[in-house]
Amino acid sequence: MPYLPTSQAYLEQSALLLEAYPNDTRITTKYNFPSSQKPKPAEESTTPTAPIASLTLKTYNPTSGICLKYRTNKAAEVGRLITSLGKLAGGASVAALGLGNAAAAPGAQAGGDVEMTDAPEEGTGSAAPTAKMEGNKGGKGKKKGGKGKR
Amino acid sequence: MAPHLGHEEFFSSLSDLLSKTSQNARGSVFLTQKSLIDAAASSENTSSARPSILIRATDGNTNAPNPKNNKVQKKTASKAKLSTIVAPEDLEAFYTRYAEVCKAGMTGLKKRDRKKGKAKAKGGAKAAKA
Repeated sequence: MPYLPTSQAYLEQSALLLEAYPNDTRITTKYNFPSSQKPKPAEESTTPTAPIASLTLKTYNPTSGICLKYRTNKAAEVGRLITSLGKLAGGASVAALGLGNAAAAPGAQAGGDVEMTDAPEEGTGSAAPTAKMEGNKGGKGKKKGGKGKR
Repeated sequence: MAPHLGHEEFFSSLSDLLSKTSQNARGSVFLTQKSLIDAAASSENTSSARPSILIRATDGNTNAPNPKNNKVQKKTASKAKLSTIVAPEDLEAFYTRYAEVCKAGMTGLKKRDRKKGKAKAKGGAKAAKA
């Protein structure tokens, strides 16, 4: 159950997964607060700050067992994420998502034809999306170094 | 299972559910979307362009009886379950509203950080509008 480093990576991989298995792939959005807090150590100095909720997006396909996740706690991302989920629900391809991520979607930018050749490869087996995911993980390491996400 | 709601009803119930969760600052809301494959419909027109999307919302509050002791547990709060079906042609309008309802309801998330000077705050406001 990998957490993807960026929402872009998550949406792209989800689009690929939906493309490969359009019928039984589901996307779950979980909005939750941390369940258990430490028992209060009776300190008056600590201001009673409200717990910060988090939003977890999960794309899961039961037949292949592929699961993609993305987690955020930024309110600013909600609108964009939900809108993107709408595009995914409408069967948008990676190119149609319009993410403009040059690093992760070179095929999408080169043109629709390149994207089409990608699609059957994904359909042949679960190995293909997994391999792609691992390719993305490499990118995660690089990005993490620079950005220091979260 | 409860019947599927209309969009308006779904949105109002969902915003109730989200704001209640945010106020309590505990608990979860699960939103699921999947394409709806109707067995009867798909056998009739298998070549139909796009399936409808089934949207579910729940607070994950299980009150199912424990199968071990077979006792029905006390009903303190029942599980909130909402669902609606979105036709492919309504997707865009639905998701616009959906995003608005979620944005308004999910107030427990981190707000945009406005401490970093006024120049940045200006940019932030712009981004929030877009």
